[in-house]
Amino acid sequence: MTFAGGVHPPDYKELTENCQIRTVGAPKQLAIMLSQHIGAICRPSVNKKDKVSAGQVIGQADAFVSAPIHSPISGTVKDICLCSHPVLGRAEAIIIEPDEGNVSKQICAAQFDSNFNPDKFTAEKIFNAVRDGGIVGMGGAGFPTNVKLKANPNSPIHTVIINGCECEPFITCDYRMMLEWTNQILAGTLLAAKALDARNIYIGIEDNKPQAIEAFEKAIAKMAAANDIKVVAVETKYPQGGERQLIKSILDIDVPAGGIPPMVGVLVQNVATAAAIAEAVVLGNPLTYRVVTVSGSGIKNPGNFYVPIGMAVGELIELAGGLTDEAAKIAKVILGGPMMGFAIADLSIPITKTSGAITVLTEKEIGSIRIKSKETACIRCGRCIEVCPMNLNSTKIAHAVKHNLLDIAEEHKMSACVECGCCSYVCPADIEVAGYIKTGKILAARQKKLMPK
Amino acid sequence: MLRNIKVSHSPHIRKHHSTQSVMLDVIIGLLPAVAASIVFFRARAEIVLASCIVSCVVFEWLCNVFRKKPNSLGDLSAVVTGIILAFSLPATMPWWACIIGSGFAILIGKMVFGGLGCNIFNPAMAGRCFLTACFGAMMTTWTVPATVNRDMPIMGQVKSERVPDAITSATPLALSKEAIKSKLTGKGVNAEAANGIVKYMLIGERGGCLGETSAIAIIIGGIYMLLRGTISYVIPAAVLISVFLCASIGWVADPQYYITPWAHLASGGLLLGAFFIATDPVTAPLTKKGMWIFGAGVGAMTMLIRMVGEYPEGVMFAVLLMNAVSPMIDRFTKLTPTGGKVNA
Repeated sequence: MTFAGGVHPPDYKELTENCQIRTVGAPKQLAIMLSQHIGAICRPSVNKKDKVSAGQVIGQADAFVSAPIHSPISGTVKDICLCSHPVLGRAEAIIIEPDEGNVSKQICAAQFDSNFNPDKFTAEKIFNAVRDGGIVGMGGAGFPTNVKLKANPNSPIHTVIINGCECEPFITCDYRMMLEWTNQILAGTLLAAKALDARNIYIGIEDNKPQAIEAFEKAIAKMAAANDIKVVAVETKYPQGGERQLIKSILDIDVPAGGIPPMVGVLVQNVATAAAIAEAVVLGNPLTYRVVTVSGSGIKNPGNFYVPIGMAVGELIELAGGLTDEAAKIAKVILGGPMMGFAIADLSIPITKTSGAITVLTEKEIGSIRIKSKETACIRCGRCIEVCPMNLNSTKIAHAVKHNLLDIAEEHKMSACVECGCCSYVCPADIEVAGYIKTGKILAARQKKLMPK
Repeated sequence: MLRNIKVSHSPHIRKHHSTQSVMLDVIIGLLPAVAASIVFFRARAEIVLASCIVSCVVFEWLCNVFRKKPNSLGDLSAVVTGIILAFSLPATMPWWACIIGSGFAILIGKMVFGGLGCNIFNPAMAGRCFLTACFGAMMTTWTVPATVNRDMPIMGQVKSERVPDAITSATPLALSKEAIKSKLTGKGVNAEAANGIVKYMLIGERGGCLGETSAIAIIIGGIYMLLRGTISYVIPAAVLISVFLCASIGWVADPQYYITPWAHLASGGLLLGAFFIATDPVTAPLTKKGMWIFGAGVGAMTMLIRMVGEYPEGVMFAVLLMNAVSPMIDRFTKLTPTGGKVNA
């Protein structure tokens, strides 16, 4: 069973799939964004020149759909100012200068073994720990996890799916975590299921990662509490890691367009989020570090790094050996993977809770013709429609937006687009189909006054 | 550190193909039939093919120059139009008529609408339609292939010797039409004559347009395009199924006057139309459902003309008619997003 549509881009995972997760030394400076998630932006709870300690709350979340932000290190608040943000352009950030002799946080996967038992924790305790730990979906969307873990009697959650697909090319952070932090992820999974009283638990992994599947099967066999978890090998196809697509592949259920998985009684969590839940609930650590893959042909020594949130992209690239000569000529620096990531022009942009990768592409991957990025006429071949996992008339929507006909775009259900980019990927005419649709969605939101100009 | 940093929308990697490579695949798909046409019609085929392709390219280039638009020859669509137009002409077509047809195809059929991607009608069919209207007699003079007429000149030999360089014959469909018409007059000409030619149709030893004679060459090209993913199976399947069904009705009702469905499938421009003309993405509907309707319409319309109408062959008119309604088909086959209605 799989979803309709999708594409098979080259995965380039060989660059980093065998690179163990590495811890790094203390950063030079951190810029912690106050907006790292979907929902209300945090209010800074520290002032300039304040001393902060590692794990201290520095951004308070007042609304329900929001998540607090913590300092990854002990240091001094240097400034609270506007800083480049990959999506918002500029947004407020807290700049922290680390104290002398700061030691970086260690990976705590070793503290989880097969004796883990979720029954020691009540649903309320799990919810509170996740909320206070500032955990958000780490797969990319950044939806506050506590909101997802709040049991709603009107639509009970019967199934928890842990998303280990990692269908984006280049990225291997989830894969390495699945191999190295297997017990921690299982613990987080059990806690999430416990919080919602869900009976069925699945872990979905693409079938090009047999080692991860094996690692989970072994760990599940050993962990008594996890015996009911089912590991499902799903087809290797982009965007298999989209939650709607994964639910379709595993359960054969369509989530209503414009709706969310809880409507069909399903919770989907990324493996990194599951690991963060385990850490927050069992050890009380807030989400301040994450694994980031630094890869692409523009990077000298690609690898997977366990880094503090707020570290600048440039500093992280230096940790990975810096840029190759090829990248100096022409490069695309992407926060995230090449299919859905954001191309950035400013290397001072910091890592956020949702950034799983930095990919530096050179002419080799972009293709010399694409560098000119000149779109030609649409020949109506319909390839974009064929690959659309949401079954949308992509070209029609894109051209409606291009000619500023938002009502026609809406008529073709523009808002159902999941922005996976399959349409642009296959377009022989090089049209930024997904780009136009994304633009259209923003324009429509502005028209309805849902978004500031 | 970074001298040239690129920023754009995601996705940042693309599939390695382009409009040019798609068109090149179509041209490769057409090559077996090009070879077959040269084998069967020798120098005449070469003249028609060359004059159509060259004049299509030149007309497109001139158009770009006069409109001060960037050169669009690189997409190779003019070459495809040229080959398909040549394929739909009889071998005896003089070169100047080919140029007139190409001019109409490119200028009126394509460029006045705004070039590739904007045309409503298949340019090659528009050109052929114009030629049918202007030179009706020329367009219905069919020569027998060189394998039958051993004296047919090869390249460089045309008119150098005083031998008749073309012997004309009736096409299977003309014979079929005669049989159908005789039903009304009561003369009782039987469809057997046309049915008898079926075995020749597969290889191509029969009278007809350049590209239509050899069913096998067209099928090989069609399979190549299907395997390469250049065309989807939907339109060819829809055309062939609907032709088969319509032809079966006539044949089952009265086998004396109507030729077999197999003969209908193998004859005339049907296979060429199903694989290469109706599948032109620009003038066909976008969605799968739309393509089924479009293909079925082309098949049904072709059979209506072949069995009821005045002309022996109807692929061209069927394609043009369905081209005209394809925006309407698109309108009636709107897609529903996965998971039903949008609530947001």
